[in-house]
Amino acid sequence: MYVAATITQKPEGATLYQAHRTTEAMEARELTGSQILCEALMREGVELMYGYPGGAIMPFYDALTSYPALHHVLVRHEQAAAHAADGYARATGKVGVCVATSGPGATNLVTGLATAYMDSTPVVAITGQVARPFIGRDAFQETDILGVTQPITKHNFLVQRVEDLVDIVHEAFRLARGGRPGPVVIDIPKDVQFSKTQYRASASISSIEYFRTSRALHPSAEAIDKAAELIGGAQRPLIMSGHGVILANAYAELRAFAEKTNIPVITTLLGLSAFPETHPLAIGMPGMHGPAHVNRAIGVSDLIIGVGLRFDDRVTGKVSEFAPHARFIHIDIDPSEMHKVKRAAAPIVADAKEALACLIEAVEPGNHCAWMNEVRNWEAENDERSASIQRNQEYPDPTSILEAIRAETNDEAIIVTDVGQHQMWTARHYTWTRPNSHITSGGLGTMGFALPAAMGVKMGVPDATVWVVAGDGGIQMNIQELATLKQEGITVKVAIMNNGYLGMVRQWQHFFHNGNYSETPITGPDYVKLAEAYGLTGMQVTKREEVETAVRKAMETEGTVIIDFVIESEANVYPMVAPGAAITNMIEEKPEESTNHD
Amino acid sequence: MTDQTQQGGAVGVGQTTPRPLIERSGQSDAPPGAARSHTIVVLANDRHGALDRIINVLRRRRAKLQAFAIGRNELPDVVRITIVMDDSEVGVEQLVEQLRKIVDVQHVANLSSEQMVARELALIKVNSAESQQAGEIIELGHLFGAHVVDVTPQTVTLEVTGSKEKVEKLVNRLQSYGIRELARTGCVAMTRGIVES
Repeated sequence: MYVAATITQKPEGATLYQAHRTTEAMEARELTGSQILCEALMREGVELMYGYPGGAIMPFYDALTSYPALHHVLVRHEQAAAHAADGYARATGKVGVCVATSGPGATNLVTGLATAYMDSTPVVAITGQVARPFIGRDAFQETDILGVTQPITKHNFLVQRVEDLVDIVHEAFRLARGGRPGPVVIDIPKDVQFSKTQYRASASISSIEYFRTSRALHPSAEAIDKAAELIGGAQRPLIMSGHGVILANAYAELRAFAEKTNIPVITTLLGLSAFPETHPLAIGMPGMHGPAHVNRAIGVSDLIIGVGLRFDDRVTGKVSEFAPHARFIHIDIDPSEMHKVKRAAAPIVADAKEALACLIEAVEPGNHCAWMNEVRNWEAENDERSASIQRNQEYPDPTSILEAIRAETNDEAIIVTDVGQHQMWTARHYTWTRPNSHITSGGLGTMGFALPAAMGVKMGVPDATVWVVAGDGGIQMNIQELATLKQEGITVKVAIMNNGYLGMVRQWQHFFHNGNYSETPITGPDYVKLAEAYGLTGMQVTKREEVETAVRKAMETEGTVIIDFVIESEANVYPMVAPGAAITNMIEEKPEESTNHD
Repeated sequence: MTDQTQQGGAVGVGQTTPRPLIERSGQSDAPPGAARSHTIVVLANDRHGALDRIINVLRRRRAKLQAFAIGRNELPDVVRITIVMDDSEVGVEQLVEQLRKIVDVQHVANLSSEQMVARELALIKVNSAESQQAGEIIELGHLFGAHVVDVTPQTVTLEVTGSKEKVEKLVNRLQSYGIRELARTGCVAMTRGIVES
């Protein structure tokens, strides 16, 4: 199982112990800041980092060649380094590391750090800074990266003395993975990287200890009792599980809890794959592009049990009309999430795994078959409605592409999506069964995320088959990383859903801007030639019946393969809730709108 | 309940009416007009960037700041910040938790609900060019327990401490003479007696 859970499953102590032995021998040595940084990274169990050298980080790169155990991947743009570190972190649960120089190198990381911040993934970014005497004097390639990254990091450090470096590095890792994970920046002036000091392995390597204790943050008995009481009295309860379930490796607990209480389970976009969709209690994704029966269920529910989610506006729609009849049990590790959107009758500040384990003990077995049948009937209505619509059979369609990928990978792939229509189609139409098999930029919605993130995913979980699903807009945003894939010999398979539009924006223009397609038609390169130019394999698929063969061929072909699926140009994602509308007020596909080329 | 179901049942038919995109519908249940004044005390490590992060949280929440006072407290390397601001009840609870998340923040207390002592200091420079005015100003100041800290032929400068209301009262009384310059520190506050945290 390739899960965020490796944290708890893999005894990190082992890595630590080995690292400790290597460093002990060096205890007495005088080292430069750069060497100390490498030592500290080793001690934190870092094996892999993504980065790009430049003036202010050169001493670190100089030291790096003496530490072959620290594998460095040279990306083609620093943004990709941050996304790759993020992807690695999401797939493994370990801290992802990225490196950049000062100024433009550091600012290029910003989008990636903001992405990690919004989705709570542990990333440590190491940036070079101009030498101390130059700071604040507008030196060449100087940017106040602490100021720039402050609102999008859990914390950031400027290393002012080489003597502080080792503690700061360990503190940064502790912060990145502790509690609600997030990105942390360490900004190191060039002269600090050169400076020497006596290296001592940090006496109190508190990171692991802190991590364990904060993970085990225990829910209050009072809150658990209250929650159990609410669950016992609910007629139409729903479980909504989010990213917190994946971050806490609480898959088994979620399942046991749902089964004991017999409560239907909704999974948010970032919670997808936390609960198998083949399970009889799984009902789907909520919110803006959730299927109608899920949003209808929320509309009449009398109890929402939120596990590791933050009730994002894409989930709730108009807040006052979100679950208007429900009381809320809210489990989250971050106290500032409590009552932020909806007042919780039972706020449970705890790690999702712990909280669910306590709840399983506290609740009585339940039976909600009648309620479940009600929801299933609505679902059947949707399906019937959907089946009645005449569809274009000519083009490859998202569902056939996703089904082919699932079939050809024996349902064992990790799917990394970009942002837009394809992301919603994938979320909705892929059947998520394996824990942590869905990786996407949910909170920030970062186009250009998928390809570089997939590099991190594949390197973090080398045995997995990794598929990128992207649109023709997003894939062009970080397409330069094909060169990195080639240089590193990383194999990912890329499915481009190419409709010649920035499709989701076009869809909004269609619904909310009177079909004024302002700046959304987009062309792209010949992806077959492009793949070849990068030394990779490319294919184009224009017909529905070729989809399966192409996916199979991609699986059989060694190395990275790009398939350009030319899909229907103006298909929309249905259903859709207009921004600011109640989620029960959905825009559904109309029969006359199929095969639309208006 | 029935309404809701019916709404759900009507899904899809002719519901593509455009909605104003700028309306984000307010991601909070706080009723309008629920805002009231709060006094929050933050203890933070005196480290690079700690203050910036606190300010950033307030800025991002668009908090209506009335006062923000920074000074040392009894511990070394710790700064004590007193924030007076308007916010709704729900908002303030979240603000307190957001401030607690800042790594360098050691302690956050919302004193609004406690028995507290809140005081500020003001320096008030008043015109006194005409005869008798200086005497009147000084006398008025004494009524408010103010000290005279500077006298020139043209001006008298008073130093007054007290509650916000007291300071404002004195300022108002002095308006008729013409206030040349006014500097107020903003509130510093603490709870009365011993409060179990």
